Amino acid sequence: MTDVIAAARAANRTILSEVEAKQMLAEAGINVTETRLATSIDEAAAHAAELGYPVALKVVSDKITHKTDVGGVELGVADEEALRAACQRIHERVIAAVPDAQAQGVSVQPMAEPGAEVILGITQDQQFGPVLMFGLGGVFVEVLKDVAFRIVPLEPRDAAEMIREIQGFPLLEGFRGQPAANLEAIESMLLQLSEFAEANPEVAELDLNPVFARPDGAIAVDARILLTSES
Amino acid sequence: MAVTRERLTRALAPKVVAVIGDKKASGYNWLRSMKEFDGPVYSVQVDENEIPGIEELGIPNYKSLTDIPDQVDFAVCAVPRQVAPFIVQGCVEANVGGVTLFTSGFAETGEDIGVELQDKIFEIADPSGLALIGPNCMGLHVPGLGVRFNRDQPAGVQGNIGFVSQSGTHGMNFSLTGAAHGLYCSTLVSFGNGIILEAADYLEYLADDPQTEVIGMYIEGARDGQRLFKTLREVAAKKPVVIWKGGQTEGGGRAIRSHTASLASDQAIWEAMIKQVGAVAVHNLDEMIDVVKATLLTKRTQGNRLGLIAMTGGQSVVLTDAFEKAGWKVPTLSDESYAQLAEFFNIIGGSYRNPLDAAGTIGQDPKHLDTIFDILNADENIDAVGMELSATFMARRWQDKPEEFDRLIGSLKKFMAESDKPFLAALHPSHVEEAALTARMRLQEEGIATFPSFERAANALRKASELAAV
Repeated sequence: MTDVIAAARAANRTILSEVEAKQMLAEAGINVTETRLATSIDEAAAHAAELGYPVALKVVSDKITHKTDVGGVELGVADEEALRAACQRIHERVIAAVPDAQAQGVSVQPMAEPGAEVILGITQDQQFGPVLMFGLGGVFVEVLKDVAFRIVPLEPRDAAEMIREIQGFPLLEGFRGQPAANLEAIESMLLQLSEFAEANPEVAELDLNPVFARPDGAIAVDARILLTSES
Repeated sequence: MAVTRERLTRALAPKVVAVIGDKKASGYNWLRSMKEFDGPVYSVQVDENEIPGIEELGIPNYKSLTDIPDQVDFAVCAVPRQVAPFIVQGCVEANVGGVTLFTSGFAETGEDIGVELQDKIFEIADPSGLALIGPNCMGLHVPGLGVRFNRDQPAGVQGNIGFVSQSGTHGMNFSLTGAAHGLYCSTLVSFGNGIILEAADYLEYLADDPQTEVIGMYIEGARDGQRLFKTLREVAAKKPVVIWKGGQTEGGGRAIRSHTASLASDQAIWEAMIKQVGAVAVHNLDEMIDVVKATLLTKRTQGNRLGLIAMTGGQSVVLTDAFEKAGWKVPTLSDESYAQLAEFFNIIGGSYRNPLDAAGTIGQDPKHLDTIFDILNADENIDAVGMELSATFMARRWQDKPEEFDRLIGSLKKFMAESDKPFLAALHPSHVEEAALTARMRLQEEGIATFPSFERAANALRKASELAAV
């Protein structure tokens, strides 16, 4: 786990790539979509064949934090022919938007079965140390700021309470025929993140956004980790 | 070296007190404030010009702490900041239990000299185990022992509220305004810069203090947030804790890359922490007083259904609005209750659906109020009872016919004694404020939870209930 951080420190980076972040999280037992780095189109095709179509492709570059904004994401790529075309499009759009992107390649991951989109996160508070956040994804977090916080370490009761504290909670219980999210799976993920935050004081900020909260479990499909400025 | 509980107890429940450096220019505030202290009080002052004034107060003065023929448990130090380290050294040598440094001008100024002096004091006090309160604070108030830092603070009354305040003003205001509401402290500490003892230390003491039934805290920031968090978790499991967080701490100006960090405002984190530990947050002195009052004077319920008694139709509507906005339900009563109410309730200019618009009915025969209380007590749809006491209509009448007010108080107290359901009253300010004030003071003396508005009553009862649910 420290290898990822050590590599980033050696390269003088504080932002981990999605692939690195997910590697750290997966090693901590947190459910993330398996995501591999491809440095060529052929490699991307090989990863996709192993992981199974459809896949998602995302540009990997230290210079880019908001991949969608620069056209660096292709979702639901159905087969190898589509993958080759999609890689080409990502390359062209990213070069146009960020000429000095110096992309390392693309990440390849299987498309996860969708569910209610939630966000789980870690930040460091000056006074209390690591803090966890939970909210619904998309506009709920960005516009309505409908989120709940707890100080690390969390007890099981804290995880249960913070999920129920947000205004949008009824949406997770199966609103208007939508399948109910597996709340226990979200609670477990929050408790795992609490341990992750305690074990990794060098993680300054983390967003799991979105996490798909489905009836059968919860899986993080994107992850961002920012390290503290000093090791 | 940690301050032992024995040392802290000597400081916070002293038998012998000394005041160091009090002077005429400050009106001998510290010495005068200790006038009601339940034990010997000594002065330490070297300035020959000040000594006669001190001796005129009848207080023995010594040139040095070590000259005092008694073992001093608690000292107040009001000397200039340059002298403070020497006084702290003297306290260590004289084995004083604890000292309050009223003296300011330390790290809070941001000046190098202030920081240096504070560090020096820390270095002297820390290895000795001296219970140092402050600096830059008002220190200690224990009404039961007559320890005060302000002459208007109560003395000779045993309170039951522990109060910890980072600010001297808010600590003082709680003790003064609280007393005006009939609320008295067991132990109040204003701890200022908190270089040796910080909030968590006082919270631990109050959690174990048998006199303290509820704890209030005013805080702006924590030196060791994780310790405060963990301590509060333990303390709030033992006693109700009400927290007023003042101010906003700067985020430190670091670059923020994630949604999580951008949303984690200081206020959001503190509110979350307060909830997480099982305390409740309040946002001003009034709310602190209200919630402490409701916690002490009303019974606890797991339910959220109110039976409400108002004096007019208009008030019964807004009384209901206020409670429902604060998360309470005002349900219909049971069929049995309605059958009983129908037998005597005056429905001309009144109604009894819930809320009960009852002025006419009670006016007809004051015994009807007892009957209404009996019905609400027995009603399974009702968990708590709130009542409007109208100063506008009644305060002057209560003044003219005190036996009517006595009878009303008798009815309220009878219900409170017989029922397990919480009871609270609202008495709004009105055009006959003098008469209303007399009524309010009396209600307070009788231990009846009375609030100056429906909204404050509803909020206080809700927060007190949240505390009980922990």
